Amino acid sequence: MLSKRQFLQAAGITVAGRLAAPAAEPSDAKRKVILVTFGGGVRYAETFTKEGLRNIPRLAELQPRGHFFRDCRNLGVLSHFNSTGSLVTGQWQRVDDFGFQPPASPTIFEAFRQQRKAGLAEAWAICTNKSFSNIGSSAGPGANVVLPKQLLLEAVKDIVARGDGLGVADRTNVQRRLETILQEGYEGVGWTIFKGGRQIDRKVRETLTHALVEYIHGPEAPTSGDELTFFIAREVMREFAPPLTLVNFWDMDVAHWGSYSLYLQAVTRTDRLVGMLWDEVCSNPNYKDRTTMLVLPELGRDGDINAANGFLNHRSGDASCRNMWMLALGAGVDRGETERPVAHIDVAATAAKLLGVKFEAAGQALREIV
Amino acid sequence: MASPTLRALIEKGLFERIPASFSTFFFDQIKDAATLFPAEIRYYERLFTLVDKLEPEEFQPLFSPLRAVEAKMGINEKTWPRRTFTLDQVDFLNRNPHYAEWRGEVSKIFARLDPVLDEETRRKGRPRLAVVLSPGELPVGPDRLWTRLGGKKVSLTAAFDPSVHVAPLLKAENAAPYDRWLIQASGDLPAVPGVVTLDYEALAPYRQRLMSDVQQIVEREQIRGPRELGARLKKMKLMANEGELARDPVLAEFTRAVLLAGNGTLLINNTFVEWAAVQAVRRARPSFVVVSFGIRNKLKPFSSLLIYADQEKSSVIPTQVDTLGTYVDLEVFYLYVWQEFEKYAEYVRNTAFVFAAAGMDEVRVIAPADFDAPASIDPMMLTAKLREWMHWQA
Repeated sequence: MLSKRQFLQAAGITVAGRLAAPAAEPSDAKRKVILVTFGGGVRYAETFTKEGLRNIPRLAELQPRGHFFRDCRNLGVLSHFNSTGSLVTGQWQRVDDFGFQPPASPTIFEAFRQQRKAGLAEAWAICTNKSFSNIGSSAGPGANVVLPKQLLLEAVKDIVARGDGLGVADRTNVQRRLETILQEGYEGVGWTIFKGGRQIDRKVRETLTHALVEYIHGPEAPTSGDELTFFIAREVMREFAPPLTLVNFWDMDVAHWGSYSLYLQAVTRTDRLVGMLWDEVCSNPNYKDRTTMLVLPELGRDGDINAANGFLNHRSGDASCRNMWMLALGAGVDRGETERPVAHIDVAATAAKLLGVKFEAAGQALREIV
Repeated sequence: MASPTLRALIEKGLFERIPASFSTFFFDQIKDAATLFPAEIRYYERLFTLVDKLEPEEFQPLFSPLRAVEAKMGINEKTWPRRTFTLDQVDFLNRNPHYAEWRGEVSKIFARLDPVLDEETRRKGRPRLAVVLSPGELPVGPDRLWTRLGGKKVSLTAAFDPSVHVAPLLKAENAAPYDRWLIQASGDLPAVPGVVTLDYEALAPYRQRLMSDVQQIVEREQIRGPRELGARLKKMKLMANEGELARDPVLAEFTRAVLLAGNGTLLINNTFVEWAAVQAVRRARPSFVVVSFGIRNKLKPFSSLLIYADQEKSSVIPTQVDTLGTYVDLEVFYLYVWQEFEKYAEYVRNTAFVFAAAGMDEVRVIAPADFDAPASIDPMMLTAKLREWMHWQA
């Protein structure tokens, strides 16, 4: 026998969709899509469960305002590059786990740029995971990729090696060194930009520097690559307003160190940064009412029971590793909840549909939000 | 090479009869007996003797489904040399679209074999003991410790002191090799002859060398991924001037493997303690284990991004302890350590677990029904009870 919810879903109706008017639907040309990953991997147990909600107060608050996919599955290779590669290509990727190879099939960034004749600054991937330099493209022009943590690491390593004065304890030291790295030529350090895009270098540099200053002199002791990723993503949004952006947060992969508290802190930090990103969408006139934001974990982590070492790894392929959630927010998204299983490869197909781009994917555009 | 029993099975062609992925993995595991614990060798002997004795009508249905999946995966004599198992093969399996099916079939094989082996183990069962110690600096009382565990709260009439109430138990009386272990974050309890002692702090010279070498390899030698790195890490052996454990090839290799497991064992004291305990139980199946956690430090701004750098030298900011973070970390680790014991027939319904914290007046006991744990006890009496429990082993 069908439950009321199952009946309504079978009939193609969501309860909230009937009760609340859908958000205004912008035309494809104005539409913007932001894909946000809880990269590094987070389990259901620490997020959308009764016990987990306290770790994600912002998402918990946003959930009823968006469409929640309760069963979003990663059925591919459980490594970081392949998982995010599957998200942006719509095909399960089985390439080198550490990013030495690009995705094996075209990314949504490439399709978008080609079909929409989009400019150089219109597709971006801002990724804490420093092995993601190839995530923006399989072959042709795709996303500009920024790896903020790599940039930061270069600066910190350099200061520590010099051993001058207060070293990294002096934030101005860090800022000065980062600015120097940017001046010296940042390509290959934390920045992959296509050849034709170099004319925007000056503006890009200014944008990046502005973000760095905010990060370094912010109220919290900067120990997080994700904070910097957020500041850079926000600056890119303010300066270039790209229609298609991937933001990869990744601090929570600290779980591999075996500290549950550091992992939880990272999850909560990512939640806060995702909330701030959403605040930017809502307050930035270039984004407000025309942006769909899809938030989801890149992968889960091993379960506590019968796994090699629980939250530390994501190797077992058990349900805790593969079964996650996705939250869709913003323009055109009916409030509600979907229980049917959807997959990571549906994300690129969905983004393509939202942007009005034809895209060959193994996944399907999610009918609940397109 | 392997033990005489295993050698005989190899010469008899057993490893050619079983599916390639199964055969290759285990062949690789048993080929270097010099770094295996006696319990591991015994397990492999029992496992493959059992497989060898299977009648054809049992053998075929047991392995045929795995062979069928291997064929779909493209495993054959060319792609899969039978006597070499490398990370390339791990990679091959992980990326194969039929990987989940393959895992399922391997699980089914063990679901048939393990109960037979476990039954044998159970028949020879004897009492075992695990003591898990928490540091006294944790910012909570016993009411908020061990919240993920069951068992019985036992009040103590005096504060628990590991050096008085646990250390005497470690004194081995004719203990078998690798049968008693002390795994600790810092040298709170003294090493005892005959007891395997792994001490995170005492391993500092080895750890620092490993961190420096790993950093150098990753940064300067353009290592492309874990396969290449794994081959290099295998060579980073414990040296004689870095610890007593270097004298014993089994323990030296065990220590290297624990520290270079790819998790935070090099970086965080309690991760080392937890992973070493889990691996000791899995591999050596000791009768008595003391697992003693410590307090970990806070991450330092900026310099903590350089994970293999010595944080004392990388930043002038003073090191601070993170007692609250440690408490949260350990709540999960208590569960993981306890669960690991419970995976093996040697320990199920045979093991008394005592979870205790320095300076506290309550402990948590998880034990079989024949271990009598009263609601309240003098800690010296608890020690006496544990000693009596241990004596049953003799």
